[in-house]
Amino acid sequence: MTRYLTDFLRGLLRCRRGPWEMLATIFIAVGVVMLMQPLAIVLFSYSFVTLLIGVVMFLIVSHFPE
Amino acid sequence: MAGPSVADRIADRAAAATPMTVVRTVRGLTDRAIAWIFVAPTIFLLLAINIFPLIWTINLSFTNYRANRLTRPAEYIGLRNYERLLTDPDIWHNMQVTAHFVLWTLFFQVVIGFALAWLINRQFKGHGFWTTIIVLPMMLSPAVVGNFWTFLYQPQIGLFNYVISFFTGVDPSSFDMIGSVALAPWSIVIVDTWMWTPFVMLICLAGLRSIPESIYEAAEIDRASPWRQFWTITVPMVLPFLMLAVLFRGIENFKMFDLVVELTSGGPGSVTELASINLKREAFEKWRTGYASAYAIILFVTVFGLANIYVKALNKVKER
Amino acid sequence: MSAEAHSVVAPSTGWRRFAAVVVIAYALAMLVPLGWIFITGFKSPNDAIAYPPKVFFEPSLEGYVNVFTTRTRQSQEYMDSLPPPETWYDELVRSRNMVIAGPSRFGQRFMNSLIVGFGATFLTVFLGTLAAYAFSRFKVPLKDDLLFFILSTRMMPPIAVAIPIFLMYRTLGLNDTHLGLILLYTAVNLSLAVWLLKGFMDEIPREYEEAALIDGYTRLQAFRKVVLPQAMTGIAATAIFCLIFSWNEYAFALLLTSGQAQTAPPFIPTIIGEGGLDWPAVAAGATLFMIPVLVFTVLLRKHLLRGITFGAVRK
Repeated sequence: MTRYLTDFLRGLLRCRRGPWEMLATIFIAVGVVMLMQPLAIVLFSYSFVTLLIGVVMFLIVSHFPE
Repeated sequence: MAGPSVADRIADRAAAATPMTVVRTVRGLTDRAIAWIFVAPTIFLLLAINIFPLIWTINLSFTNYRANRLTRPAEYIGLRNYERLLTDPDIWHNMQVTAHFVLWTLFFQVVIGFALAWLINRQFKGHGFWTTIIVLPMMLSPAVVGNFWTFLYQPQIGLFNYVISFFTGVDPSSFDMIGSVALAPWSIVIVDTWMWTPFVMLICLAGLRSIPESIYEAAEIDRASPWRQFWTITVPMVLPFLMLAVLFRGIENFKMFDLVVELTSGGPGSVTELASINLKREAFEKWRTGYASAYAIILFVTVFGLANIYVKALNKVKER
Repeated sequence: MSAEAHSVVAPSTGWRRFAAVVVIAYALAMLVPLGWIFITGFKSPNDAIAYPPKVFFEPSLEGYVNVFTTRTRQSQEYMDSLPPPETWYDELVRSRNMVIAGPSRFGQRFMNSLIVGFGATFLTVFLGTLAAYAFSRFKVPLKDDLLFFILSTRMMPPIAVAIPIFLMYRTLGLNDTHLGLILLYTAVNLSLAVWLLKGFMDEIPREYEEAALIDGYTRLQAFRKVVLPQAMTGIAATAIFCLIFSWNEYAFALLLTSGQAQTAPPFIPTIIGEGGLDWPAVAAGATLFMIPVLVFTVLLRKHLLRGITFGAVRK
């Protein structure tokens, strides 16, 4: 697990595609959950920003080398 | 649009009419040029019908434009539309209605779809024929299907209520699937599940068939129990396929419009008012074009994000 | 859906029989709503709303007559003054104290669906084949981005797209025209067509073309005489998918057409008889509308999986 985590962080630092795409995916997923959750309207209010960050990040990092 | 056809025709005619030595020079159309000529019309059409309108929508989303008032010019009001949308409890409520619909349809479709695929993969006689029969509902027009289900859901005379009362003994006129606040959200889940379970089933079936036999043979030698084989081989191997199906159905149901609008048109009250139905009201009934554009952009971005993940899943499956 | 043996630990006969029973029971149960649409089309209005729902009834073509005609109710004196009915449908309508006033708009809506469906399919397949060939064979700059861009256009929520399209078409005068719908459906279908056809073309060995090029064919000739014939099955399957989509599409048709160019899906739910919806007529219209799709689905069954996954899953 720690091994996986350090690999992930190293990938981020070296601008590798895999980990960055993973991060963008997490942003998008969290954004979608925030958009549709029934718990707090504050989360709903900030869902769009989260989604937007995820999408823009995805568009950029999909051009990073493998 | 005329580009490729004309180029094609000219090149062909020239090639047919000229002797071999000249052909070599007519060949001047390099592969690169052909690639561009072939791709350009498609890209052009998509730019004109998808991207240009998208940019227009983004622009409109910062205004208070109303499409039914042609004389009044639009004023820029900054991010006010987004602000209002994202703090509106009613919109939040619509999102939860959408979430209810998406989550439950996905749940039922995955459970039933996977079980069916697993059973069909037992290769009984005639499984191909029955697969085709099961697939039929998903190819039909959702609007026409939704409209007809309102007939099946009629209290008293509807077939659905009759069947339920036949098995449970409840009076068929005592419940109204579409008219009651408690049941309406489930009525749309039932119809969508009826229609789209075959979709999940087909993709799961492909996943099951992609598992090489040798893996099971090895497990058999290791004396792994069928239960263990199911959880350590079948499920992980089918998972990428299942992800594909879930993402696609998730996106489709997130933007669901035709089936539900014909079935309940969002009612009673707003208990089945999915995001798209709400958006249609704002844009084409209340004509709050600027506000609706901001709404549309929020849905756009959500779907676009999910589509990114979908394509990632698609490539993963392709590698198999 | 091919039937190659894939069972490892060959399932026992008992299992197989159990699976068959469950699957067949499910298939039959799910067919009931479809079957109900079909038989309701042949019921008289009273049989259609009878309780308990009638499975056995005297078949009547009233629904089919009603879906194609408009009728007016007349007084008894007027009915008596008419000459005897000339045709069976005249007789059927008069037995309800009505006379046929003229044809309904159903035929025209059906025609619109055909025009838009075939127009969009033709255009999509034409453009899609060219683009797919280019993506399959040549190095197109930004290929992956373009392919993703093409696919993402398919995923967009139709209502969200419809707002600017509506404004754009209003400016261009394309609202409520066949051309407007054809262009729109082409744009939506192109993504599916390009992805599907690219998959089919990737499967055609490049050696065929290269041999043709060595024989002195130009690229375009090789494309026309070697690649196209090989891709024919794929093109046909793609065409059927596009046709089914255009045929079934509802949201754009509802928002962008009203009178002239409206297709059948938004029209069928509005078929109204005296006192509420005329269910046999709705069912008759729905049956006529769905039969082509059912036939095409059976024809397509080998390619269904490809079609619904944008060509990613082949088998």
